[in-house]
Amino acid sequence: MGARSQTDGWWRDVATSALTIARRFASGATLWSISPSWPAHARHVAVEFVHPVIVGKRALPATCLVGRDVVAALRLAARAGDVVVAVAPADDGDVAAVMRHAPAWGLHTVWIGAGPWRPAPGAADHVLWLDTDVVDAAYGGGFVLVYHLLWELTQVCFEHPGLLAAVPETGAEGMCVTCSDEGRLAEVVAVLPGNRASVRSAGRLEDVDVTLIDVPSPGGLVLVHAGSAVAVVGEDT
Amino acid sequence: MTPEGTGFLYPFIEADERDAAGLLEDLTRSAAAKAADSGRLRTATLAGLEAAIERAAEAMARRFERGGRLFTAGNGGSATDAAALAALFSGPPYGRPLPARSLVADEAVLSALGNDVGFDLVFSRQVIAFAGPDDMVVGFSTSGSSVNLLLAFEEARRRGLLTLGLAGHDGGSMAASRCLDHLLVVPSSSVHRVQETQDALALALWTALQRLLGETVARR
Repeated sequence: MGARSQTDGWWRDVATSALTIARRFASGATLWSISPSWPAHARHVAVEFVHPVIVGKRALPATCLVGRDVVAALRLAARAGDVVVAVAPADDGDVAAVMRHAPAWGLHTVWIGAGPWRPAPGAADHVLWLDTDVVDAAYGGGFVLVYHLLWELTQVCFEHPGLLAAVPETGAEGMCVTCSDEGRLAEVVAVLPGNRASVRSAGRLEDVDVTLIDVPSPGGLVLVHAGSAVAVVGEDT
Repeated sequence: MTPEGTGFLYPFIEADERDAAGLLEDLTRSAAAKAADSGRLRTATLAGLEAAIERAAEAMARRFERGGRLFTAGNGGSATDAAALAALFSGPPYGRPLPARSLVADEAVLSALGNDVGFDLVFSRQVIAFAGPDDMVVGFSTSGSSVNLLLAFEEARRRGLLTLGLAGHDGGSMAASRCLDHLLVVPSSSVHRVQETQDALALALWTALQRLLGETVARR
């Protein structure tokens, strides 16, 4: 039952998540934990990293965001390269919104959850889904085991500094604007006169032409390509 | 990463690329092994404490029926366990909501008490302020020796509250305390593994309590 009966592939996913987290910490990132349904889990994730249970281990920059508007809070607080760890069911609209906007903000994402409904493939960089009852996961130690393992494995990664060096991003940051045939996700920051807008893509600000689209208000998502916003991205999943 | 043909100049880089795969392999095996350890500890502890959990649930059910309320406490990760238990009791996904809150929720109260009278008294002072003789205090500690919990249990016992402690290792100071009506010990010295099983114990306690109160909370 629960996380203890997961398949090998599942533990592999936990391992790759830990390596991502370790690499991000090594490059100075902050880890943000969110859990609108179960705020205690957001707090627990943060305290695991910021005040480790093992004496002598580094205090790492990890903070929970609890409160009504977690999307707005992250938009303001998170910087490119940071990590978001969410503990939430698949139908958590706020977490889904965070995951949708994360590429525009340049964030790496881990979604820990449980229950028969799962997020769509690719909803987060790492989806760690427990094949167990949600109540067991949320209140019986299922989720806690997962993020305990993430912390423990992250510590092991720190013992391999050669593997923590910045890895070229394969997502939006690494895309070549002139030869890419895909749009990059960007979030509108401000609409400017002359059919232009300031947008945030992979956490960096840029000005783009918005002639081709019905530009959304600040906070809205668009696809940009070669200096232009080419499509509006809907918020509904 | 390196141009072809110059690998001999940077052998350590080649070795690192291989080692990432090797590291991931090690991490994967480690994760599975730790989870298995956690599962075994959980199963064994739940089995060994089944009767103790039932006794505690019966005592708590009687107090809830008299209008008693539950206060939970802990430090660090155990504080979040205390908060989660209070949330489960007061806002359960199903079953009967029961009055419960944690003594770690209010940063103004915690910082005021901690700053003015010391952190050892942050919970006992709240027991004095809030609690009555029908109430209950549940304290989470992985060591069993958190002073602020022990003092809270003393104060609670003085006032006639039910006191239940969750500890790890050998029970620590909680095992020696004469102020605990119920003590659930997870026999492990790993803080993480103890916390995971303490959560399972807390959920088992809640489940037993709901059953005793006549609620059906069968899960998959």
